Amino acid sequence: MPEATAAAPRRGISLDVYAVTLALILTLLVRLNLIPPIQW
Amino acid sequence: MATTIPTTRPLSLTGPIGLGRRVAELIPGLLLLAAVGYAGKFIERSIATYTKAHHITFPNIEYVLWAIVIGLVIANTVGVPRIFQAGVATYEFWLKAGIVLLGARFLLGDVLHLGGISLFLVAIALTLSLTFMHLIGRAFKLKPKLTSLLAIGSAICGVSAIIAAKPAIDANDEDASYAIAAILALGAISLFTFPLIGHSLHLSDKAYGLWAGLAVDNTAEATAAGALYSDAAGKVAVLAKTTRNALIGFVVLAYAIYWASRGEAQAVGNKAAFLWKKFPKFVLGFLLISLLATLAVFTKPQLTSLANLSRWAFLLTFAGVGLRTSLRDLGKQGWRPFAVGAIGEVFIALVTLGLVYGADRFLHL
Repeated sequence: MPEATAAAPRRGISLDVYAVTLALILTLLVRLNLIPPIQW
Repeated sequence: MATTIPTTRPLSLTGPIGLGRRVAELIPGLLLLAAVGYAGKFIERSIATYTKAHHITFPNIEYVLWAIVIGLVIANTVGVPRIFQAGVATYEFWLKAGIVLLGARFLLGDVLHLGGISLFLVAIALTLSLTFMHLIGRAFKLKPKLTSLLAIGSAICGVSAIIAAKPAIDANDEDASYAIAAILALGAISLFTFPLIGHSLHLSDKAYGLWAGLAVDNTAEATAAGALYSDAAGKVAVLAKTTRNALIGFVVLAYAIYWASRGEAQAVGNKAAFLWKKFPKFVLGFLLISLLATLAVFTKPQLTSLANLSRWAFLLTFAGVGLRTSLRDLGKQGWRPFAVGAIGEVFIALVTLGLVYGADRFLHL
């Protein structure tokens, strides 16, 4: 019988991965000048 | 009726229809986050314009504080209606995206220098605070697993650490919600006290940022506490807090092994897989963007755009911090977990302040 582990059951892709993906997409858009300069 | 906003909500996307429906559910809350955050920015700008036009000397109150206060007022008076809750719960997503984008404002050398100092200080503070939390938990007769959760939450990184540790040490829901409520309450208090203490001690931006990043529990509150002091302090606070977050897996693993050895939690199988699972992946995104910035991949205007995108993401986060803090819920948890958390927090704040003073003097921040 497989050993029980303390890892939580898989619940899909983590929030971190979505956040990193969005940030990288935005970075790419900025790098390729596909979005206007962002003002603050 | 308004209820407490969940601190995290896993994204489960089941096909295009599920995705479309999920995104539609988020829109009202996202608009509320944007409205509250922008209101904070508007108030800061309006006060600055008015006082300048009328030659009035008035301290600049950052948009961060306004956004948090507006959120707190809404959450604790009319409450956050259910329709807004899913969108408001995304504040943590914006925090992580904002941290990754913030990487553009750091050269990798600075990350390694400040991150290295942070790591050294975190290791000392971590050892002292975990030991201290267990001693006072025992003195206040708290349940051992609740004490473990409070210790992990206050020593490492607040709510995320508690959520990561809960299944690993087989803690029950009640203990986890007590620990989360105590950590959130203390985080809210630190938002108002840390900048005051920092100013009264005349801490430099770097020293204050490092202190906030090492001592304030939750990443959102640490970011806000840093930004309340100054933009530069906010930057350093995020870096120090990110270093602290990176250690989450090791601490949770140590606790999982400890409780498993006592037969009160399941054994840990593959330790490397366990560490990777608990490792906050946004840290890697932050390092990647910082590396690209160091390699001069971006022009100066592009770097400015990335930094501003990060600020907009943080604006949504700060609005969420206020909106998810329910003062009513904090009163329900009983005084003992709060007292243990509070005493622990004061201890950690003092220890880290001492460490930062030492680092400022001997390691030249």
